[in-house]
Amino acid sequence: MKPTEEINALLVKYWKGETSLEEEDSLTKYFTGRDVADELKPYTALFQYRENLRCATLSDDFDRKLKKAIQQKKRENDYITIRIFVPALRIAASVAVALSLSFGVYMMIGKNDKTYFAETYSDPNAAMEHATFALDKLSEALQKGEEASIESIQELNKVDLDWKMLDSITESDINYQKSTDSLPLENNL
Amino acid sequence: MKKTAFILFFLLSTVSLSAGDFVTQFLEKCIEEKKPVNNINIGKSMLEKMASNTDDEDLKKTFRNLNSIRIITCDNIRDSRLYFKKANNLALEEFKDYQELVSLNEKNAKIHIYFKQESEKLQDLIFIGLDDEEKLSIITITGKIDFASISKLSDSLNKEMKIDNHGETPSMDKGTK
Repeated sequence: MKPTEEINALLVKYWKGETSLEEEDSLTKYFTGRDVADELKPYTALFQYRENLRCATLSDDFDRKLKKAIQQKKRENDYITIRIFVPALRIAASVAVALSLSFGVYMMIGKNDKTYFAETYSDPNAAMEHATFALDKLSEALQKGEEASIESIQELNKVDLDWKMLDSITESDINYQKSTDSLPLENNL
Repeated sequence: MKKTAFILFFLLSTVSLSAGDFVTQFLEKCIEEKKPVNNINIGKSMLEKMASNTDDEDLKKTFRNLNSIRIITCDNIRDSRLYFKKANNLALEEFKDYQELVSLNEKNAKIHIYFKQESEKLQDLIFIGLDDEEKLSIITITGKIDFASISKLSDSLNKEMKIDNHGETPSMDKGTK
């Protein structure tokens, strides 16, 4: 079998996808060599391309370039997150945080029963004197208030008022009085 | 710059929210340096201790329900009159959400009691009074205030005061401003 016929037969197998790796190697070797028959030269480019692909290897700085590319992508994502936080939103967020912190502190103070003043005494007996003084004053004032209210009611009872007459005044009486008041003087006479 | 502004805003808002107590405002706004007053503060923990120290059940219950008692007194008659007016003005201007509970204007006593109920367990009371010697007493009480029990406390208190102080009225020599 002439080499050209042999190559043609291999090519037929190649197009059918039936060639082994060794056969494909011999095809590549033939087409990348110098003795390619003129009628087979159109296929040279194809096998040359295959040979180039096979020879392709990773460059020395491939890992570094890959890492750099990943980091850059990551940074781009971060940048997008920051950009979403436009100034107005940032201010709003700051105000919200400050208010919630303030409210938290205020609530804490409130829960501590508003004892944000210095305790005067450390001895309960000394404090007792003043606490009893305060409560006594308050107790006395409440009693006086109560007495004053009772006295006022008693004074009111002493006034000679016709309560029955006052109670009998109905809304219609009041409306009638208003309507007569608004009439011209001669009509009332 | 932004951080500083943020911290300032936070501090200002915290301070403005927390400076609401009547006695604090009175001491800050009304007191003149040459006319000093006495100031006594009793907090929750001290009230708890006092409750455990007394045998009187009514008094024990009253102390346990309270959160704080703050007292301002003034021994000078002229200053007392001035501060009585100032305190009432402060209550009417800055504590408008308080109700006037008692208002007495008698020969031997002038008393105003303002009250605010924030919740069932948190009530604020402001007492401003001039006694028969025209000496000023300002008392603020916070916590659960049971008026019915307090108005009946006089006997227990007198007993307690006699035990502690051998019948003498307490001397207000602490916390002078």
